[in-house]
Amino acid sequence: MLPGVTADQKLFAETAERFIRSTCPVSTVRRVAQREEELDGGYFTEIGELGWLALFVPEEHGGGSPSGQPVLDAGLIAEQRGRYLQPGGIVGSNVAALAITLGGTGEQRALLDDLAGGKALAAWALGDPAGGWEASAGVAVRRDGTGFVLSGTKGLVQDAHLAGWFLVSAAVDGRPALFLLPADAPGLSIEPLAGLDLTHRYAELVLRDVAVPASAVVGQIGGDDLGERLLQVAAVLTVAEMVGAIGELFAMTLEHARNRAAFGRVIGSFQAVKHQLADLSLAVECSRAIATGALTAVQEQTPDAAELASAAKAFVGDAAIDVSQGCLQLHGGIGYTWEHDLHLYLRRLATDRVVFGDPAWHRERICRLHGL
Amino acid sequence: MSGQTADDLEAYRREVRAWLAANLDPRDDDAPARLRGGDAANLSPERVAQQRDLQRRVHEGGYTGITWPAEFGGQGLTPAHEEIFAQESRGYVVADLGIAGLTTTRVCGPTILAHGTDEFRRTHIPRMLSGEEIWVQLFSEPGAGSDLAGVSTRATRTDAGDWVLNGSKVWTSGAYYADYGLCLARTDPTVPKHRGLTWFGVPLTSDGVTIRPIREINGSSEFCEEFFDDVVVSDANRIGAVGDGWTVARTMMVFERLGGDPDESPRHSGARELAPDLVALARRVGRQDDPVTRQLIARAHVIDLVKEQLDAYVAAQAESGTANPNLGSYSKLAAGTLNPVRASIGLEIAAAAGVAWHPEDTEASTTALNYLNGRILAIAGGTNEMQRNGISERILGLPREPAHDLDRPFNELRHN
Repeated sequence: MLPGVTADQKLFAETAERFIRSTCPVSTVRRVAQREEELDGGYFTEIGELGWLALFVPEEHGGGSPSGQPVLDAGLIAEQRGRYLQPGGIVGSNVAALAITLGGTGEQRALLDDLAGGKALAAWALGDPAGGWEASAGVAVRRDGTGFVLSGTKGLVQDAHLAGWFLVSAAVDGRPALFLLPADAPGLSIEPLAGLDLTHRYAELVLRDVAVPASAVVGQIGGDDLGERLLQVAAVLTVAEMVGAIGELFAMTLEHARNRAAFGRVIGSFQAVKHQLADLSLAVECSRAIATGALTAVQEQTPDAAELASAAKAFVGDAAIDVSQGCLQLHGGIGYTWEHDLHLYLRRLATDRVVFGDPAWHRERICRLHGL
Repeated sequence: MSGQTADDLEAYRREVRAWLAANLDPRDDDAPARLRGGDAANLSPERVAQQRDLQRRVHEGGYTGITWPAEFGGQGLTPAHEEIFAQESRGYVVADLGIAGLTTTRVCGPTILAHGTDEFRRTHIPRMLSGEEIWVQLFSEPGAGSDLAGVSTRATRTDAGDWVLNGSKVWTSGAYYADYGLCLARTDPTVPKHRGLTWFGVPLTSDGVTIRPIREINGSSEFCEEFFDDVVVSDANRIGAVGDGWTVARTMMVFERLGGDPDESPRHSGARELAPDLVALARRVGRQDDPVTRQLIARAHVIDLVKEQLDAYVAAQAESGTANPNLGSYSKLAAGTLNPVRASIGLEIAAAAGVAWHPEDTEASTTALNYLNGRILAIAGGTNEMQRNGISERILGLPREPAHDLDRPFNELRHN
């Protein structure tokens, strides 16, 4: 578990793990991934009751977080969700709830009760299909009277098929803006994508002259701080999911090395294997350390929150590949089979590495944050 | 001192401030850092004498050995007092006795405090604190590096009860200006290797001691090798029991890991800057807008951040008291694997300018120097391979390497 947690947070995380193990273990995730089973809305109302979707929502709308530190609490849930490859992109729903809490109109805030309870889910459409993660990526906005018309395509929207609402980033007159759109808005369509990850599904959000009223704007046009905050939260929560998945994948591999025998000894007794495991565990610990630092900085909104969030996404994104590859190597042939869970982790990690900014994008962002 | 209050500490801080202002010179922040292998890396006898004087002044003021026992010349105060002095003295010129100065106070001193006799501690600890005695570790040998318990320098007992040393040591940081060496020697080769070892404090001015600098790949000579030819050492200079040297060695290695980190990669102070050495380099070669260079700079910055966060994470775990005591190996392995990457990044950004420069352009040579020094922490103080063994066996719980040398007498083993 990520360190420095209070007793309340520990209980929150342990309850989450128990729920996942009894309700949606990796064997269930696999059946959903193979389309042998669909996730019903019950999963989301249950996690709504557990409070996973209410962390960024104010109390008067049924929200709250166990420790009063929503980013850290959400990080603990994200870690457990990553460990067990939980479906349903709740990072996007939590970020949308945070956006509405911080900048939503009265009408938009009415949605918070449903988001907090898991009765409605939202997704955040930020990047474009080409891999840009700036607000302006992929969608053009023109003014039309007091309202706006949105056109273009957002890419890599996580679990769009479950979302009743989309938070769409775009630029108005060159300034960043956020729009809240219902999934049934005329001209809005979801184009499902095939992809590497089997546990989350991805789609393009296609907007064909979608006319929205001024009341669809969340926060201020050009209100740069809100979009920046959302990016930091989305990045560190994705990192926390990745840290959970990396840790579980490594634990699985260590267990394999302790039990698998060859040449009359367990393979974990060979120095070639031990040294690889030591290097992989260093990557795991470094990932935990930078994730902890980034979650804390984003929670406390320290001046270095932006760079730590990006550094964490960049580092853990690269570490995810190293750990996935190393764990596959140490498993040998069995790790290359469909029936082994390893590939579910490998696929998810390679994808999470890109979602809300791949390492190269965040590295360039770090340079810009420092004025280079 | 458990009864100290915040008021006591504030009073101490005021006292420290007043003393510093009255006795030391303010520090010039723009003074260039001493680079390993740089022109100013080696300490001249004049400079050492000057630094010893400065150290004595601080010692006489009562600000050395702040947490060390008062009966041996320390101040007997708390880590909080030590931290106050460290904070307040940051703006002043304090003694810099180089790497051997750090070895004296961070490794040899604590080891002697833990294992020396009262008489030995009363004699030497105050001198170590005052700068009168600079101590180094005589540990590695040409034939025994990672396998430290395999040292073969011999100490044989004379009829008078003293000892005679023969053998050689190597990789001793700063021995060329040191006064004493804490030396691990084999006193009984007929028992298994960990059991026949004993420590001695050896005056480096003794007859039969030869110290030679080793020229390093960077051209400088911070490390030395030493030869011992029939060097007579008094039994009063023995540290710990005869044959118990490995226990003392383990204490020493803990102190070494805690305090002896000679990490000389460029560090930012105060507010975090974006890899300042590399940004300056990129600007010098006009590549600050090149996307490839920008990726490299950010990679280096992420390395800096990850090392910083990992150290904090390991320290936080250690404070919890329940953590595995070997977690420090992660910080060491991170430095040992990431520093070389960072050093290579400099070379990559500099390209042609990193490998050839006008002779008078000392700034331009820094990148090459950093590259040459990049693997120091991958080897010194425990190689990456030793850290990987430690992590896999003591943290991950994997089986130990099969050993062929634990139960057989040292003189029956194959060794160098």
